Amino acid sequence: MESKTRLDVNGQLTLKELPYIIRWESDKCTRCGLCTAVCPQQAIEPAVIVQRLVSSEGPMPLPQTVRQVGQGIKQVTDIERYCVGCGVCSQVCPNDAIFPEYNAVNKFAFHKNQGGIPYKRGGRRNSTETSTLDQLKFTRVSMLTDPALDAGRHEFHIRTLLGRTLAPENMPLIIKDDDLGLDETVFIPPVREIFPIRIGGMSFGALSPNMWEGLAMGVAYLNEVEKIPVVMCTGEGGMPPRLLKSRFLKYFILQIASGYFGWDEIIHAIPHMKEDPAAIEIKYGQGAKPGDGGLLMAFKVLDLIAKIRGVPTKIDLASPPTHQTKYSIEEAVAKMLTSMSMAFDFRVPVYPKISGTKTATAVLNNLARNPFAAALTIDGDDGGTGAAYNVSLDKTGHPIASNLRECYLNLVKIGKQNELPLFAAGGVGKTGSLAANAAALIMLGASGVDCGKYIMQAAAGCLGDERNRCNLCNIGRCPKGITTQDPRLYRRLDPDKVAERVVDIFKAADTELKKIFAPMGRSTQLPIGMSDGLSVGDKAIAEQLGISYAC
Amino acid sequence: MYEISGIVLNQRVSSKDLEKRIQTAVKSGKRELKIFADGQHGIGGRLWPTSEDKKIIVDGTSGQRLGSMGMMGTKIIVNGSCSDDVGWLNCGAEITVLGDVCNGAHNAGAQGILYVQGGAGARCDTMTKFNPRFAPLQSWYFRDVGDSFAEFKAGGIAVVCGVEPRHPGNILGYRPCVGMVGGTIYFRGQADDHSTKDSRIENLTDQDWQWLTKNMQPYLEAIDRLSFLDELTKDRGDWQKIIALSPQERDDLGGNSLPMAKFRLEHWDQEVGKGGIVGDLLTDDRSILPYITFAEDRRFYPTWDNDRYQAPCTYNCPTDIPTQLRTHLIREGRLEEMLALVLEYSPLPATVCGQVCPSPCMDACSRSVFLKEPVEIGFLGGLSLDLPAPEKAPARPEKVAVIGGGPAGLAAAWKLALEGVKVTIFEREAELGGKIYLCIPEDRLPRNILNSELERFSSLGIEIKTNQTINADDFTTIKSEYDAVVLASGAHAPRMIPFPGYEEVIPGIVFLKALNNRQPMSMKDKRVVIIGAGNVGMDIAVEAYNLGAQSVIAVDIQAPASFGKEQQMAAARGTQILYPKFTDRYVKKEKKIYFKDGSFLDVDEVLISIGESPELDFLPEEVDRERGYLTIDEWGRTNQEKLYAVGDVTAPGLITHALGAGRHAAQAVLADFDGTTLSDRSTEMVDYDRIKGEYYERDRQKAGEDGDTEALRCLSCGTCRDCSTCEESCFRGAITRQETEDGGYQYVVDENLCIGCGFCAAVCPCGIWNMNPVE
Repeated sequence: MESKTRLDVNGQLTLKELPYIIRWESDKCTRCGLCTAVCPQQAIEPAVIVQRLVSSEGPMPLPQTVRQVGQGIKQVTDIERYCVGCGVCSQVCPNDAIFPEYNAVNKFAFHKNQGGIPYKRGGRRNSTETSTLDQLKFTRVSMLTDPALDAGRHEFHIRTLLGRTLAPENMPLIIKDDDLGLDETVFIPPVREIFPIRIGGMSFGALSPNMWEGLAMGVAYLNEVEKIPVVMCTGEGGMPPRLLKSRFLKYFILQIASGYFGWDEIIHAIPHMKEDPAAIEIKYGQGAKPGDGGLLMAFKVLDLIAKIRGVPTKIDLASPPTHQTKYSIEEAVAKMLTSMSMAFDFRVPVYPKISGTKTATAVLNNLARNPFAAALTIDGDDGGTGAAYNVSLDKTGHPIASNLRECYLNLVKIGKQNELPLFAAGGVGKTGSLAANAAALIMLGASGVDCGKYIMQAAAGCLGDERNRCNLCNIGRCPKGITTQDPRLYRRLDPDKVAERVVDIFKAADTELKKIFAPMGRSTQLPIGMSDGLSVGDKAIAEQLGISYAC
Repeated sequence: MYEISGIVLNQRVSSKDLEKRIQTAVKSGKRELKIFADGQHGIGGRLWPTSEDKKIIVDGTSGQRLGSMGMMGTKIIVNGSCSDDVGWLNCGAEITVLGDVCNGAHNAGAQGILYVQGGAGARCDTMTKFNPRFAPLQSWYFRDVGDSFAEFKAGGIAVVCGVEPRHPGNILGYRPCVGMVGGTIYFRGQADDHSTKDSRIENLTDQDWQWLTKNMQPYLEAIDRLSFLDELTKDRGDWQKIIALSPQERDDLGGNSLPMAKFRLEHWDQEVGKGGIVGDLLTDDRSILPYITFAEDRRFYPTWDNDRYQAPCTYNCPTDIPTQLRTHLIREGRLEEMLALVLEYSPLPATVCGQVCPSPCMDACSRSVFLKEPVEIGFLGGLSLDLPAPEKAPARPEKVAVIGGGPAGLAAAWKLALEGVKVTIFEREAELGGKIYLCIPEDRLPRNILNSELERFSSLGIEIKTNQTINADDFTTIKSEYDAVVLASGAHAPRMIPFPGYEEVIPGIVFLKALNNRQPMSMKDKRVVIIGAGNVGMDIAVEAYNLGAQSVIAVDIQAPASFGKEQQMAAARGTQILYPKFTDRYVKKEKKIYFKDGSFLDVDEVLISIGESPELDFLPEEVDRERGYLTIDEWGRTNQEKLYAVGDVTAPGLITHALGAGRHAAQAVLADFDGTTLSDRSTEMVDYDRIKGEYYERDRQKAGEDGDTEALRCLSCGTCRDCSTCEESCFRGAITRQETEDGGYQYVVDENLCIGCGFCAAVCPCGIWNMNPVE
């Protein structure tokens, strides 16, 4: 009788189908089990390995057979346990005996919809093409023309304004007792002076408590010790009450999104607030998954998250793709801006965030007419997310560069470019060039930028990349402890170290921005919209962005 | 004193011409020049030879870069203030300015001296150098200096005396020393705005003080301020110096000025509360964990789940015979226990396991999955043929009637009797055995085996009433007389298909019963067609040949359900199977059977074997039934109290199913007597993937290498074989074997050594270890 199962591999995948192939070297391996103990996917497992060797020694064929049953590490081909290439196995291996290797010819996309469930993941758009932002160069260098500044010597004031800036003729100036004063009966929009790179919204829940606290503490440090006024958006999911009631609140932008999570807790805390928040961000869309909502899976809604969000534990927390009770742009924006402004007695800038879209200018024109609109954030398709359908991540969304540029030029057309700031997000620092991407967007017309993935990678060592490495954020198995509520995982992450890295990141970015702006002769005023400082080696991009072509 | 004027005939001499006149004069031997300047560039620089002293006195309006590239041996005295960049790239000249200097004094100077009687503009002493071949450059300022002093200073000494400064609060101006990497600045007065990233302030050392006081006098003499000597040299404490940080010191400054841990403690926690922003909500341990963890911090923990899963053989035996336990007992040398064990499950091991059972146990055997031949389990059943019945339990008061002496009834009666219950069997035929006796041809089941086991059965003292046809009244009587009734009357009414001519068809069961009653029907030279190609059909085919049939063709409406020995034996005798064939009509006088597809077969005798139905006429209507079978729960209980049903009367099945059902019903009867609850019978079979077939040679196995007995061939699925592979494999030595008090053993894990790697579970040959998620 022939074996029934061992020869039957019908329907099984081979390693070649998988996105990462584990390279394991038997002769280096001690069989200590560290790799299998940490693999977040159980993509590798110990295995019994049979080897059979026929050898012949001496001058004549005298075959000797050795059959050896040993143990080793095997990669499984179960699509649900596919190797995500995180490399934690390599990290723990004492002998460098194991590592995942990217398999460019994988057939993962053909198989990862078992049970009729499309592939969902965290991360960013999987694409290794060079983004427009990374193609832009700063080609206007003052050579005996503009006053050349020295980033190392001159003093810089890299700051931007978050909030609506009234044109001088619109300022309610009056003469009071022979002195210039303000007519306080007229609404003057609140404005904050901040560092032009912000930490974009990542929720308490999507991020682990250690990660979130690390970021928050780094931001507080930057403000209070380094005097760099970096602000951070909470993402949707509320804020720990202790932080709400602390003086640090002023460094945070509170986000309200379609699930409104955490907002009753925030409102309850208003009388106890020592400071106003930096701003309120109304999230209408996310660049990584436009038109898609959010879902914090029940298993992530542990006691802590539930308390902060003001919900029971272990229930799915859905943020619908759109704000409910919204009937038109005009009405949705107007009523949300008014409500949120009113919550803080019109002292806090309130602005919407939308995903990059062809219709961004329509939103912008609307905001331009609304005195309570403090800014507009546009989140491009290279943004990241904790969980989304792969199709949304990979195929949906608008790149930020031309979208932002179009909006800025539209502001110029209506004469409001100095009044209503635009913030750009989605792929800022995608390949590690945080300051350069930020500067490029600023010169295309952004008053500032948001970054998220860059922070995760630089501050906490997030393993994700554009080849779908790791990207386990959605299932709470983050091997770095960044996007998980499992204490065994998030306790791998030291909040102090995250905070230190946040400080490093912004100090370095501050210097790099100086290095970019100095040769342009800018030290105290950002070169917002100064697109003659940019060039690109692609004529089509140059034409679309209205910048010069250089080769 | 040779005079050169920068204005000739009321015309300003160009810088180029004035330079030419100065150079010509010096070359011609003039060593003292008085120059009346009118803003010319670079006066007094580049004068050779350096070995001879030259003195240049400048009156009028000196231009930019006076004394630039000044050489050793040159001494320049400016009567009045001086324009920008005086002493630029000075290479050794001594320049005295009896007034103020503008911006950029001594910028890029390398050697030489600059004496300034007044103060200085912005960006003085920038980029000054030190070349070890020469003495260091000196820059002396009497009052104070302007902003951005000493930027990128790389060497030389600057002295700022701070006498009557223009900005007393800050005599070194705004942000001095940015980029400073070398040199020294002595200063007297207040200055605290220097770039701390590049430089630091220190007190003067003895050596510093000695140098300063020694060099102060010639300076003051040169600028005609000797009267200040005492004031400037009276107190070393009035002076401080700025020196550049070493590269190492600068690197050390790269970090954050306030350690994060300190920030957390003194600012963060101070403001939000102890334990950080979630300290009030999250009270669990938040200390940092390594990637490799132990005990409750592991993701998975192993358990030694010996006997948690049933071996495939046991799991697949409808009679629940624990085959694997039996082989285990053999391995332990407990042969008698092994043989006796089977009798607790079946009264007919030699008959059923040993002869007629298709052995689902062997089909499921892991050996047949991973290796080749399964363990020969039927053979084990045969070994129990001559064993006496087990000891009975003490007698119980209850009486149970079993209606039907076939395998289901026998099994129920056997189990009940062993438990001490008084059992009466009512059998319609003259002999016990039911279909085993009636329908299985002798060449498949030697009569003596069945008889021998029936004798053992009878030895339990069970009352056996044969030739009992039970009608409704009898049933009512029995039901009232006995404490429980187990209905095991089987299915004996042949199923027929009402096609034209079906009346002429012989039911297979009738054929087989006649045969087993030693009154066989003659099939001599007949062409036989059997409708139904199941295993009973195959038995009939074989027997038809035995009885002289010329040919046997079995037809079926679908792929034949027959398998195994029955099918092989029938095929060997020449039986043909045709399908799909739907019978249309049988015309006996034409000797033809027609099928719906238009075909026909020539035939002398048609038999039908498509199963039998129970005969339930004697049962009251209130006994639940469906499609002709009694409905029961998993233990054989009908919807009527005290009435149980087992075997073919509930559903068609194999003999082994009937044996199992009888035993289960007996357990239910006992439980119901005692008012106890039956434990869940559902068990989990060990997953084949848990058995590591890799340990065993499959393809090139030589005779005798796979164990010389069936027991050794058994892979011990789900039951520990005590091979210690787990203990050996565990890298950290977390697993140890322990003897238990009952004389057995167990493998235990030290959770403080175990990291949850899964090796034990992955390498266990028998699939004992489980990795469980730690919640």
